[in-house]
Order: sequence, then structure tokens, then C-alpha cells
Amino acid sequence: MRLSCCLCILVALALLPGVLPRGTLESAAYPPEEKPGERNLAIVVNLNNPVENLSTPELRRIFLGERGHWPNPYGRRITLVMLEPGWPERAAVLSIIYQMSETEFNNHFLHGLFTGEVFVSPKTLASPEGVRKFIFNVPGAIGYLRESDVDKTVKVIRIDERLPDDKGYKFHVPLR
Amino acid sequence: MKLSVASLNQAFLRDKQSNCSTPRWTCLLLLGMLGVSPTLWAQQSEAPTASDSQTIQLLLQRVAELEAKVRKIDQLEARIKQLEGEKPAPAATARVSSPAPAQTNTPSEMETSQQEMPAVAERMDLSKTLLRIRGFGDITLHGDDQKGDRTSFSLGQLDLFVTSDISEKFKFLSEIVFEGGPDNIYGVTRGQNNVFAVDVERYLIEYSHNDYFKLAAGRWHTAIGYYNTAYHHSTWFQTATDRPFLFNFEDRGGILPIHSVGLSASGLIPSGRLGLHYVAEVGNGRASRSPLTDEPVQNVIDEQSHKAYNLALFARPEAIRGLQVGFSVYRDLLDPLNSPRISESILAAHAVFTRPSFEWLNEALVVRHSPLGLSRTFNTPGFYSQVSKQFGSWRPYLRYQYVNGSDTEPVFPDVGLRHGPSAGLRYDASESVAVKLQYDYTALRRQNAVNALALQIGFTF
Repeated sequence: MRLSCCLCILVALALLPGVLPRGTLESAAYPPEEKPGERNLAIVVNLNNPVENLSTPELRRIFLGERGHWPNPYGRRITLVMLEPGWPERAAVLSIIYQMSETEFNNHFLHGLFTGEVFVSPKTLASPEGVRKFIFNVPGAIGYLRESDVDKTVKVIRIDERLPDDKGYKFHVPLR
Repeated sequence: MKLSVASLNQAFLRDKQSNCSTPRWTCLLLLGMLGVSPTLWAQQSEAPTASDSQTIQLLLQRVAELEAKVRKIDQLEARIKQLEGEKPAPAATARVSSPAPAQTNTPSEMETSQQEMPAVAERMDLSKTLLRIRGFGDITLHGDDQKGDRTSFSLGQLDLFVTSDISEKFKFLSEIVFEGGPDNIYGVTRGQNNVFAVDVERYLIEYSHNDYFKLAAGRWHTAIGYYNTAYHHSTWFQTATDRPFLFNFEDRGGILPIHSVGLSASGLIPSGRLGLHYVAEVGNGRASRSPLTDEPVQNVIDEQSHKAYNLALFARPEAIRGLQVGFSVYRDLLDPLNSPRISESILAAHAVFTRPSFEWLNEALVVRHSPLGLSRTFNTPGFYSQVSKQFGSWRPYLRYQYVNGSDTEPVFPDVGLRHGPSAGLRYDASESVAVKLQYDYTALRRQNAVNALALQIGFTF
């Protein structure tokens, strides 16, 4: 009995490398490379938007829909862009900026639209590429992207005078 | 390794021969593992590095081929755009003038331009509707011990909330409500018990110039206090099964001009962290001959040229998120039949604190009626306080309300004194469905107190 148990364990140990999925081995040998800025969440606007900096309270008011227009002279209607539920970026925004759950977020905008205080509901898009394209095309749009997903078609604004790479920047997102 | 596996096999066989009492499961496990071991060993033993490098080479070759195809597609798209795009889209023009470098002729731009769907063209596309519809409804089982009342199931208001973004600055908003039962206007009942009717409760076109100035025309909920503009006709939004008595609708025995038709301006007041807002309204006001008319809200024709005015100011200080404090002043001149005109003033104040998991609503108001030519003014004070706290899906709540109208009140002599507590429990069965159970105790002047119980399911769809 004891011998058979020992044999079992020995056999199992001997076969373990073959049983493990190959991806596990590969990931152990070659950990995925983290792109620069992948953990930073950039707040992005349309290239024509002259706004360079927002304070955290201002950003929160915009994301809550309490501000409907960019300040003059730009004056464009603000269109908030959100990623679909399930994206870590969205979860980070709900946690950091809204401090709400998904349900609370949905109720907030439903109630805001119902009372008329929120002029337009957020636009929900399926991917960071979609967010980039939408913001590129809509002058008053604002959204969020991983810094590694940002390209020259959108403009990153400072939050509390800090860009995503700056020390003390507050908006971060877990790796995908 | 092969040797060791073979020796293990032999050892196992020896062990099996010498010890017939070995449990069957151990044998089966060993047999199973040994059975698969050659396969697994074969996977490992077939020169893994050479195989992997071959696979990598194949994959790299495949990636290169796909990249070449993508480049070809991009070139074709660019060519198509060049042939079709004689007239550049407005967004493309903006792009050229934008400060970003090298924004033309890139594949990403081509992809982007494919996504462009000019809003104007979309709005003019008659094959699409621009309406967004959200619905609210409720069904209630209620009963009380007041003489003549019967325990009943009641279909509540079926509320269709319809909006449309007309343009960047204009928006349409409406609430179309189907509701059953007779109306009760200042104590006068009209209509049949079980017939449904349609009311357009809100009907607004809004112009939003900026955050400091918005203008709306149509029919709205008057900005008296807080409750009236926070919950409108949705039972699902409100914590309790019903509105506080003070804010009952005109056709449900309410004493306020809940709705009005006219013009409304609203917006922020530059006030930094204080978060001041204003609402200024001018409208037809409430019909003062309501018992004799069909509709207390003067939708089409005002009974007089004098207009009602309302001014509301409130603050949402940044330091205390969820707090709103404000007041409003409403003025109108009523013109009842067979009696002198009555000056009406409604002064209201509120302090509410609302967070997703906690709410505390406090409102007080006084309705003042001063018949012209008489020195007497009739004051009807009222208030309510409501507190609730969310525990998971459960939300217990308490409310106390009070209103005290004079028996000789010239406009609503039926109201009198009524006050009492309500206690309830709301259960959010899903994100869109709430079940509420509420008990009300209402003390009345010179009448027996009323105990009432209501079970309601409220939902949005």
C-alpha cells in the first residue's frame, strides 16, 4: 500500500511537466512583456479640444454628467465615452472616478436623464480602438485609454497638472 | 527516463504480485497514468527545441503574409477613398486643421473615416427613429381600514419616458403616462373607477446653450422643492410606494401646482465649490377653477392672462457629495369662480442628502392664499422627512409627513390636518425590479386614524 502510494507520487511528479499546459511553461519561461504605460489610465479628448488640464473634481463632474459643455470658447457639448462592462479600464474608472458599482452607475445616468440633469447618456464602445476613433471624430468627446493604447489621433490631458507618466498620477489600471 | 518508467512498471507488477490486497483505486490510477505516460513522454522526447523553432518560423512567416495582406487592403481602401472622396467630410477637415502631425494618409485615419457617421445625416435619415424610450410601471396591492375603502390590486402608472437628441444643442423629452382610476381634484372625484386614460405629463424641448443657461419650453414638473423634479412619474425610482402627500399629483388630491406649461430657464451660477444652481419658470400655473374644469393643468388655454412665476435656488457643495440645499418661491394669482381673486405664494425649502446607499430627504413648505380685498391669509404648512439605508438588496425606510390646512381654506378645504409615519422595506429583486412593502398610519382631524398597507412591485423596462 505504502509502496504504491509512493509510486503514484513519483510517477505523477515525473509526468507533471508533460501534463501541464504548454502555455504555462512558456509563460513561465517567457513572461509577457509589459508595454510602457500599460498600467496608466490616460484621460483623452479630441485633438481640437483646447483643454489641457482638469482637476479631479472637474473630471468627476464631467464623468457624472453634471457638466454638459466644455468651457467657452470651445463650448462643445461633452460626450462621455465608456468602454463596455468587463474592461479593466472601465472597472478602474468606476472605482476611481465614480466610486460606484455598475448598477449604481447605470442608475445614476438613468436618473440623470430622467430628471433632465444629464443632457446626453454616455456612449459605450466595445474596444479601445473604438474609443480612439470616436474621440477622434467627435469634437466634444472625452474618454479613457491605457497609455499604451494612446496614439496620435487623440489628446491626453493632464489631471491635477500631471500626465500619466508623471510621478503622483492617480489613475492606474491593472494589466489585462 | 524511459528506463525509470520501465522500472516503475516492473516495480508495480512486482508489488501487485506480492500484495494482492492493494486497493483497486490505486491500481487503476497507476494503470491510467502509466497508460498515458508513453504519449506524454513522446511529446517531450521529440526534440522540442527543433519543433518549437520550426513552429515559430512558420508562425512568423504566416504573420508576415497577413501583414502584407493588411497593407494591400489598406492600399485598396486608400484608393477607394481617393476615388470616392472628392468632397471631404467635415471631420476630415477638422483633422487636417488639427495640430496633430501626419494625420493624413495613415491606415488608422482610413479606418477612422470609415467609422464617420455625421450626426446631421443620421438625423435626417428617415429610415431610423431618433427616439429613445424607457418605461416605468408598478402594480400594487393595497388596503386600509378607512370606511368605504376596499382592498384592491391596482395597476399603477405606465410611464413611457421618451427622449430624442435633436441636435447638439436641442433635445426633446417627454413622459407619456397611461393611468387608470378616477381623478381626485381638491376632493372632487371625476371619471370612472377602472378606465385607463393617457396624460402627457412632461413635454419639453430643451435648448442647452452652455452649463449656465438652458432653456426649455413645454410642460414640466414645477421646481417647487426637491421631490417633484427628482422622481417625476416613476415609482421605481422612488424608495417608497408613493409620493409624500405634499407632492401628490394634481389629479390625485395634491395641493401644489405640480405641472406647469410655459418657459423654464436653468443652469449653474458661477460659485466655485458651492455649486449653486438656479431655475426660473414662467407658466400658466394651476387652474383655480379645477373642480369645474376638465384638467387642473392648463395645457392649452390659461383661465387668465396673469402668469405664474417660480424661482428656485439650490446648492450642491463640492465638499459634501450628495448634499443639496435649496429653496423656491412660487407666485400666482388664482381666479376662482364666484369669489374674489386669490394671491397664491408657495415658499419651499429642502435639505436632502442622497448617496447610492443612503438617503435623507427633508422638505418643508407653506402655501399662502390671500383673497384680494380680505385681510386674512390662509397658511397651509407641511413637511416630510424620509430616511433610508441600503443593505445589499434590502432598503428599509421611514417617513413622517405632516400637512395642516385650515377648514376654511378657500382653495382646498378638503385637506385639513393629516400627519403620521410610514415604514417600509424595499427589496431590489434585480437591477430593474423592486418589491416594496409599506405601512402607513395617518392621523386626521376629527376623524379616525387610517392604517394602510401596500405591497408594490415597481419596475423599469
